[in-house]
Amino acid sequence: MTEILTFLGKEDQYEKYELFFGPNHPGMHGNFSYILTVEGHTIKKVDPDPGLLHRGFEKLAERRKWMQNIALIPRICVPEPDINEVIYSISVEKLMEIEVPLRAQYIRTIILEMARIGAFLFGFGGIGGATGLYTASYWTIADRDYLLDLFEWLTGARVYHMFIVPGGVRRDLPSGWIEKLSETVDYLQKRLYEYDRLIYNNPLIVKRLKGIGKLTKEEAIEYGITGPNLRATGVKYDTRKMVPYAAYDRIDFQIPVQSDGDGLARAIQRREEFQLSLEIIRKAIKDLPDGQVRAKMPNPLKFNVPKGEIYVKVESARGEHAYFIVSNGKDKPYRMAVRGGSYTAGLVLAQKILVGMRIEDVALWMSTMDICPPDFDR
Amino acid sequence: MEQKELIEHIEKNFKYKKEIKVIDGKQFTITVEKDKVLNLLSFLKLIDFKQLALITAVDWIDEKKFEIVYILFSYSHIQQILVKTFVDRDNPQVETVKNLWDVASMYERDVHEFFGIDFIGNDDLRPLILHNWKDLPPLRKDFDSLKYSNKMFGKFKKDEEI
Repeated sequence: MTEILTFLGKEDQYEKYELFFGPNHPGMHGNFSYILTVEGHTIKKVDPDPGLLHRGFEKLAERRKWMQNIALIPRICVPEPDINEVIYSISVEKLMEIEVPLRAQYIRTIILEMARIGAFLFGFGGIGGATGLYTASYWTIADRDYLLDLFEWLTGARVYHMFIVPGGVRRDLPSGWIEKLSETVDYLQKRLYEYDRLIYNNPLIVKRLKGIGKLTKEEAIEYGITGPNLRATGVKYDTRKMVPYAAYDRIDFQIPVQSDGDGLARAIQRREEFQLSLEIIRKAIKDLPDGQVRAKMPNPLKFNVPKGEIYVKVESARGEHAYFIVSNGKDKPYRMAVRGGSYTAGLVLAQKILVGMRIEDVALWMSTMDICPPDFDR
Repeated sequence: MEQKELIEHIEKNFKYKKEIKVIDGKQFTITVEKDKVLNLLSFLKLIDFKQLALITAVDWIDEKKFEIVYILFSYSHIQQILVKTFVDRDNPQVETVKNLWDVASMYERDVHEFFGIDFIGNDDLRPLILHNWKDLPPLRKDFDSLKYSNKMFGKFKKDEEI
């Protein structure tokens, strides 16, 4: 035994080799890959290789009418599709100067927060998957299904809802839906305490996440890191609060922040934001006003949007998700550029921060940063 | 700073020819000549526009121009600035800004692939997303995706033809 242990001495040279981390790797989140140059167990060079998920949304959107695009854009992002609909609708409303009814704003807020919780549940499951704590992924995916049931009741679809449209939302809430939503929120609150015991107070997970991919405030801003990952480094900024959209300016909430900026801080930040989302839904249900849910719009297949350009961003579970939309006054968008929330983290920051890490930490870093390949491959 | 103060500050301290247009209370555009982009961006970075949110382009085929847009954000002023410049469509070249922001390098690679715009000084403009692409850069307006798909995968058959 001792012979084997002393076999690798201090002066030994490790082999350098190339490791294709993904697209078919259990730790990879979708069709994306990193080509890692590895020496022993330590990563020396990272080359991201996106492209396997490219569907050309930006080009497809230019060939479809303003209203037809509503069916296309939710498909950009799988775990949290509603943000796309809301950004697109806000852009069209701002360019056309349409006032959205207040009730529709509140319904949008509720839907966005539900989608956000769904995305966070996916994220918790990802941490479980990367550490071998499979109970976490089974629980979270099952709990997410309760939200999908509610979406199905409301919109008829489980994942891609196409419910938020320019002018408001497609139709009013069915009777009994709000009560069921309150029940689900209470259930998720109860489950959150169980997740605390399973994940966040689990000494193995805490030890494993501590110190992974540590970022400072300045680095995070420099590299365009946004959302929960930015707040985990201590920057108190939330698009919902600072540049409000939907009904967030009418709902009072506090922005949680962490200070460490490492994997553990990011995981805890997401747990806090899960709690925040539950609170926002509760407040939105309490204040939900009566009235119209859709402003008067011209014929959906015939309207033109006035000339102009606009950059609209919202807070997604992964950070700042935004569209830059240009209209030339015709019935189709002239240009639609998408900024994915984890574009810079997954493609640029990864090249710097993964160097020196061990292979087994890559999947965990991706989980805590919530890297989502559809953000790069629109 | 509020938007008005900010615009006044930029008007006063950035001397080169520019055009400022307000979009709404939280964002405005600045259009400059293409050789002054680097000056403007480094000036804006000094007044705390630290986040480069996006670099993208728009193809104005009728005017024979590409518009390159740099979207910046400041966490202290809570303002979004869209810096714009126009380059000639036949010879699309602009200086890289990768020395100001590391993330710019990847955005430029993306724009180079989809519009064919050259970023002088960026030596890493390898193909990023498209695989074995030999056609026109796909986000140019003269690239027809329907024609390409017919050529590449055979003509789409209508119901009666099957």
